[in-house]
Amino acid sequence: MTPGRTKGMGPYLLILPAVLLLGIFLVLPYLNIVLMSFRVPGQGTPYGVGFTAGNYVKFFTDSFYILQVVNTLWIGLLTTAICLVVGFPVAWQLARADMKFRGLAYGLVLSPLLVGIVIRSYGWTILLGNNGLINRTLLNIGLIERPLPLMYNALGIVIALVHVFLPFMILPIMAAIQGVDPSLHAAARSLGASKTTAFRRIILPLSLPGIQAGCILVFVLSLSAYVTPSLIGGLRVKTMAVTVVDALIDTFQWPFGSALALCLSVTGAIAVVIFARLTRMKWKAS
Amino acid sequence: MTEVSIEKLTKTFGSARAVDGISVRIANGEFISLLGPSGCGKTTTLKMIAGFEDVSGGAIRFDGQDVVNVPAEKRDIGMVFQNYALFPHMTVEQNLAFGLEMRKVAKPEMRSRISRVLEMVQLTGYAERYPRQLSGGQQQRVALGRALVIEPKILLLDEPLANLDAKLREEMRVFIRDLQRRVGITTVYVTHDQAEAMTMSDRVVVMFGGRIAQIGVPADIYERPENLDVAQFVGQVNLVKGTVREGGSDGRCAVETTFGVIEVHSARMHAPGTAVTLTLRPEAIELGAPGKGAKGTVLSSYYSGSLIDYRIELEGGDIIHTQAFPHNRFADKERVGVYAPADRFWLLGAAA
Amino acid sequence: MSRKVLTVYCLLVYAFLLAPILVVVGASFNAGSFLTFPPQGLSLRWYVTFFNNEVFMRAIRTSLWVAAVSTVISTLIGTAAALYYVQHAGRGKEAIRIAMLSPLLLPEVLTAISLLFFVYSVGIGTQTMFAMIVGHVLITLPFVFINVSASLETFDPAWDMAARSLGAGRFTRFRRIMLPLIKPGVIGGALFAFIISFDIFTISFMLKGIGTSTLPIQLFDYLRTNFTPEAAAVSTVSIVLTLVVVIVSEKVLGLRIHRF
Repeated sequence: MTPGRTKGMGPYLLILPAVLLLGIFLVLPYLNIVLMSFRVPGQGTPYGVGFTAGNYVKFFTDSFYILQVVNTLWIGLLTTAICLVVGFPVAWQLARADMKFRGLAYGLVLSPLLVGIVIRSYGWTILLGNNGLINRTLLNIGLIERPLPLMYNALGIVIALVHVFLPFMILPIMAAIQGVDPSLHAAARSLGASKTTAFRRIILPLSLPGIQAGCILVFVLSLSAYVTPSLIGGLRVKTMAVTVVDALIDTFQWPFGSALALCLSVTGAIAVVIFARLTRMKWKAS
Repeated sequence: MTEVSIEKLTKTFGSARAVDGISVRIANGEFISLLGPSGCGKTTTLKMIAGFEDVSGGAIRFDGQDVVNVPAEKRDIGMVFQNYALFPHMTVEQNLAFGLEMRKVAKPEMRSRISRVLEMVQLTGYAERYPRQLSGGQQQRVALGRALVIEPKILLLDEPLANLDAKLREEMRVFIRDLQRRVGITTVYVTHDQAEAMTMSDRVVVMFGGRIAQIGVPADIYERPENLDVAQFVGQVNLVKGTVREGGSDGRCAVETTFGVIEVHSARMHAPGTAVTLTLRPEAIELGAPGKGAKGTVLSSYYSGSLIDYRIELEGGDIIHTQAFPHNRFADKERVGVYAPADRFWLLGAAA
Repeated sequence: MSRKVLTVYCLLVYAFLLAPILVVVGASFNAGSFLTFPPQGLSLRWYVTFFNNEVFMRAIRTSLWVAAVSTVISTLIGTAAALYYVQHAGRGKEAIRIAMLSPLLLPEVLTAISLLFFVYSVGIGTQTMFAMIVGHVLITLPFVFINVSASLETFDPAWDMAARSLGAGRFTRFRRIMLPLIKPGVIGGALFAFIISFDIFTISFMLKGIGTSTLPIQLFDYLRTNFTPEAAAVSTVSIVLTLVVVIVSEKVLGLRIHRF
């Protein structure tokens, strides 16, 4: 270190508050919840004395929960896939096209992030409800006779989740495409590749890290989404996150709730790892 | 007015010796260049003089006082950085005022000093501009002004012209040199550009691998290089192999070469028959009709406007480069006489 | 895809992104008692109802208070951490970055639950706003960190050296050179932290004490049982508040906020 620059303990004081905050209020609570998931359920208290693996046994042997995990994963996958298909062209246009209203378009992509998740989900209930804007309009024009079932099912949840998380897909992909030197595309063209081939062979592989980041982000966020499934799915369709939160808020089943939450998170993490592996192998092969 | 004395200065990074025990005395008002390829330790040396880099060993003295333990902000140096390092959120005037504020200079004096320096660097009328509103050359002059306005003991410049285009670079060489002469400030200039070092400096310090290869006035460095590294670094050079015919004890040495027997200066005795290498700069060579000097054949020529470069194969197979004014043109494959005056040959290692 | 098709496609996506927000704003001016389309005339009656609804007004005050406190804390902690990360971190640099972003990478539900159990295990509980504010600081910290480190990365170390060569001590250099140059990043990070905090749901939902509901919680509770356009009026006011913050930061202060 150069003389006069902060010496000794000085620099560590800068990082100390963050270390304390994350250590005490993130690491310890996470360790605590793992411990909690092995505790004996209590009678009238959040948890009893002693430890057991029973919470996990209950989870893995109850088809209700397994089915719900599958359901949640399916909704997450669907949301991610749709976000990718819907978001990629937008990310591409934002990154590359010389548009007059690029700033405005960028603002539009960002705008959902600036509006609370409750409000956005609420907006979808207005649109998708049986008396909602879409059904009313279709009924009025006479295209349908009975309201379409858009809400209180997986379809409604996926539509709303795609909306809620789309910016998280678009922004990393846009950043990745912007990071690809435009002359590479030109170089590929000069070597005789068609526009499509240049895109497929050059741009797509090079923007893969952004796609990967976007997919992981959307998938993880949709697995743990609570507000949207809760408002759109109502009581009929429940995702894991909703079940977990309700189990804790309403019934105070702390040990079992912890086990549920951990199983959900670990499942999500495994899915992410598998996805990262798959895309990385593809990256090496291409 | 300060004399800088560097003694056995060393800088180690782990086991690597970036600067390996160098010693230089820089006289009051002298302009010295540290010249060398990247990684030779010249910038590290400058940073140690400035106080931005710890010293692993040795001493740096300003007028006899060791400053090794003085922090950079107390050393009273003026420094110009490669990318100028102008404060982007301050106007030209505020940039110039910064160092004066640190020295608690009174407002009226500050104003007069700033306007004097602005005039000196030819930027009167630019006081209110922000750095980004200035061209590269103007930013360069602000950086120079900012370093000089505090009237420092010494001026340090770290490759200040590297980011300018060729034409501006040549103008700035003259500008900086004239300014330095007028102010009379002791100056250390770091560069990897030999032409820059040659045209600007009183003396040049050539560095390789953390050590000083040669210290001398520009003409010494160019015409009497200490070793092959120096000879090749400061310009194109032909190497002429020879055999010592007579060692000579009078500081002279007769060497047999394709150019005939050449008598060169040598402080050292050489046994007859020793193989030696002489250097010969391309522009020292005269080409003419066959007969005078060595016999050669033109291989190719390169026209560059003011000069023509020839590649010539000597009898015996050696290939040399020459540089000549284009008044006398030779065609490819033409046979020519290759001549150079004896005093333009230089025996490598002669001073050792 | 040809350029025209691409443009139309993108416009449709933008419409999709804006639709639910526009619908909420539109619904807030509905004169009827229920959310009906087309609206039964235009009216500001639901705004009047909202402004006279002490429950919602208290929720807004709580939200603003929680957002303000957690923004101040996470700006201080996040800026200091970013300073360390960019200027002093050696080999552990990547680890620090991941640790600082971890609240963003971990599922919010899990963080909320963990924190809930933890505050009860150590006897802090949720009677005070402490737990909720800690949760908000955790979630907003990454945004401050991202923005401040981004502006620090563009800080040229030569500026600091130049100031030193001109005689400036450490404190002066920080105050006169570094602080003004990273100010946009700090303010941008703080504004983003404020906006994020204002919208945090799951953390607040799990960690709220009695009578300390933030606006999103109050709105959520309301929506589970009511369908009047009052919720739309509340939402619109919330959107406008956020928009004002963003426009002021972008236009007046000329800031660019880094999201990633």
